[in-house]
Amino acid sequence: MSRRKFLGLAGAAGASALIGSSAHSASNKHFEGYPNSFGVLHDITLCVGCRSCEAACNRVNELPQPDVSFSDVSVLEQKRRTSSDAFTVVNKHANLKNSKVPIFNKIQCNHCLEPACASVCFVKAFKKTEQGPVLYDPSVCVGCRYCMVACPFDIPTYEYDKAFTPRVRKCTLCYPRIIEGLLPGCVESCPTGALKFGKRDDLIKIARDRISKKPEKYIEHIYGEHEMGGTSWLYLSGVPFKQLGMREDLGIKPAPEYTAGALSGVPIVVGLWPVLLTGIYAMTKRKEKVADLEKKECVKEAIEKEKADANAKLAKAMEKAETDKKTAIDKAVKKALEEASKAKVEG
Amino acid sequence: MKAKHIKWGAIFALLPIAFLFYGMIVFGGQKYEGSTQNCFTDGILINGLAAFGKLERPEVLFLHDKHTDALEKKNKDCLTCHVKDKNNNLSIKFKRIENVSKDEVMDIYHLNCINCHNEMSASGDKSGPVTCGECHRDKVEESLCRAPIEIDKSLHGRHSKAYENKCETCHHEYNPETKKLFYEKGKESSCRYCHKDKTEENRMSMSMAAHTQCVNCHKKNIEEQKTAGPIKCSGCHDAKKQQLISKLDTIPRLERKQPDAALIKNNSPELATRMNFVPFDHKAHEEYNDTCRVCHHESLNECTKCHTLLGIKEGSNVSLESSMHTKKEKSSCIGCHEAKQKDKQCIGCHTFDSSRKKSSEDYCAKCHMSVPAQGTFTEEKDMSNFLLISRKLTTDSYNAEEIPEKVVMKDLVDKYEQAEMPHRKIVEYFEKSINSNKLSGYFHKDKNTVCNGCHHNSTSSVKPTRCGNCHGKPLAESENLDKPVLMTAYHGLCIGCHKEMELGKATGCADCHKERKKWWNNSVNR
Repeated sequence: MSRRKFLGLAGAAGASALIGSSAHSASNKHFEGYPNSFGVLHDITLCVGCRSCEAACNRVNELPQPDVSFSDVSVLEQKRRTSSDAFTVVNKHANLKNSKVPIFNKIQCNHCLEPACASVCFVKAFKKTEQGPVLYDPSVCVGCRYCMVACPFDIPTYEYDKAFTPRVRKCTLCYPRIIEGLLPGCVESCPTGALKFGKRDDLIKIARDRISKKPEKYIEHIYGEHEMGGTSWLYLSGVPFKQLGMREDLGIKPAPEYTAGALSGVPIVVGLWPVLLTGIYAMTKRKEKVADLEKKECVKEAIEKEKADANAKLAKAMEKAETDKKTAIDKAVKKALEEASKAKVEG
Repeated sequence: MKAKHIKWGAIFALLPIAFLFYGMIVFGGQKYEGSTQNCFTDGILINGLAAFGKLERPEVLFLHDKHTDALEKKNKDCLTCHVKDKNNNLSIKFKRIENVSKDEVMDIYHLNCINCHNEMSASGDKSGPVTCGECHRDKVEESLCRAPIEIDKSLHGRHSKAYENKCETCHHEYNPETKKLFYEKGKESSCRYCHKDKTEENRMSMSMAAHTQCVNCHKKNIEEQKTAGPIKCSGCHDAKKQQLISKLDTIPRLERKQPDAALIKNNSPELATRMNFVPFDHKAHEEYNDTCRVCHHESLNECTKCHTLLGIKEGSNVSLESSMHTKKEKSSCIGCHEAKQKDKQCIGCHTFDSSRKKSSEDYCAKCHMSVPAQGTFTEEKDMSNFLLISRKLTTDSYNAEEIPEKVVMKDLVDKYEQAEMPHRKIVEYFEKSINSNKLSGYFHKDKNTVCNGCHHNSTSSVKPTRCGNCHGKPLAESENLDKPVLMTAYHGLCIGCHKEMELGKATGCADCHKERKKWWNNSVNR
């Protein structure tokens, strides 16, 4: 490759890296969520901890049967987390406002508008759909579990007990059901209406409306409206969310925004560096070739020079030998002539 | 050479850390006993120097009862610490009547407290601290739990009885020209109207006025061996002891020429309100409240003096309409009436208020009663009385046999069997609650009002609309985005009511409907 060609190619690669459209997962503009996407409003003040949602979730997702029946509410005495066999769990919290009435709170995937799990997944196994759910594709997953580290809500779980086909497991907002026009399993089974399914925009209106109608019942905070850039799952509560073990330190930036700067360099690194390095490699290669050639020529020249020198020396020697010979002959002739003349004189 | 450098470097680096530890040991880290376990009703924060600017050291927590008890054992009285003023009353300040100068006040405290503490320990008694940091501590206010005391009607009655209705014993007015206190009959009002939180010029703070007056008076009574009120802090300010203050069985009415029945009306004749004036049963409301200040929050004038139709500065620009209808204010009519809806026996229905249509003409007319023809009454109070007497204060009711005894809900039977509700029993309970007081009786006088507690937005009749007529299936399009589906409506109503009334029953699923074996035995469902 000529130097000119290489520089041309490198310039083109650089330009495409700068102009090229960047994925949502690594952009730094604020994404407001897909219009008309769905969500669920969880009104914590209405939850009675009956575990119907857990049972329904287990049923619609065909998850393994638990050891303890879903009608047994004694499991609420311990704090639980989502697992690969349970995409949602209800937890019981002490009520600081009224100790007689405990507070129940359901946890599951919050389906962020700009999911942290998707932003860290380098095989794009996670995808935010237009309908709202964040879906996972096990066929491309390499099992690095970055998603589990990235999730600020500690939601994705892993099938550690499967040696060959482990998957990341989490709630899907019942994507297969909602595209058919059905409600998510948990929402359908909730007896008290603590879960309300609908368009996220409508749910925010409803939540605001409930707060304004009963200011003494609710704290003025719709959890999920702005947390981590917004989530499809929204919460209303009568006590600060911190008291229910929900993080209030997340800020309103979506996770990808924190990493956009670093990740936006990835295309350049991935696209440009091979070209650059190949070019550098080619140039070094060519340099070596040229040097080789020059070396060979030098050697040839040297050899020829040596040869010429040798020949000259030879010629000189030959010449000298020739003259010596001649001198010797001359000498001999002379001597013979002298002796002949001497003999003549004497003779 | 190099090794020496390293050694000295390390020493210098570690010095601040060493100081820090030393400081923690020497200058702090002593846990204050009363900070978390105890809190003090007799705690006073001494900040006598606050009047002279910013305090150099934190205020001092002084336990008054502890000191009086200790002095009593030594046969010492109040004069040990308090001097008498020209009226022969004890000054509530320590060892002085007035603040003189910063240094002098500081010396009064330091010399007297420390000397006494030293004397006490010299004589082998338990004594208080003598070093700066032991008195001047941070965050001492956390250990205060003084319960404020109100002179309620009962306490007032006991005092008037003891002083043979001589109001001037406590009540006075202030004449700014002669700078003297004087008494005017019929002008008595709450102390707090003049005495505010902080001492102003010529005007003691409420706390100072109360302690000067009450404690001195109680002390004199004790000296004269009469029945007397408490002179110790905990006597008034301990929440538990407050419960023990004896109440009068029959509380006499506070007489201040107030009307028995008033007509609340717009005082700006040039602006017609076109609303009927409101008859107000003043006498009854005196019985419902502990103090006059509940309604008369700034002075004992009639409301319309400050709350005019459009609002004036004297009434914080609160208009007459707002002053009577603001829900969040306890001193407004509606605010107070709605607060009563939070009572356990009422909140069951009233927790769903937000969905009720309320501001009907009928609702306004409950107070803005239609006035008899002009000329019927010459006196306003007669008209008020007439209107008040004409009110019906109990609810009408359907005949028992018209009210279904049981209601069976079986529309949604799936996991659980049908639920049965003791309908008539519930209705009768609410009717009894409604008739138990005049307010609810009057506001629920229609026989359908109690029905509307649950059957909201329904026709008023023996056979109300079925719930399922409005509360349909999930995802049904509706103008009201937040309309609950049928299952939510049932559970919201039943559980919501039980929860709010704290009935403690019917909280689990199986309390109202048994599990349906068919469903639960299907292993998929477990």
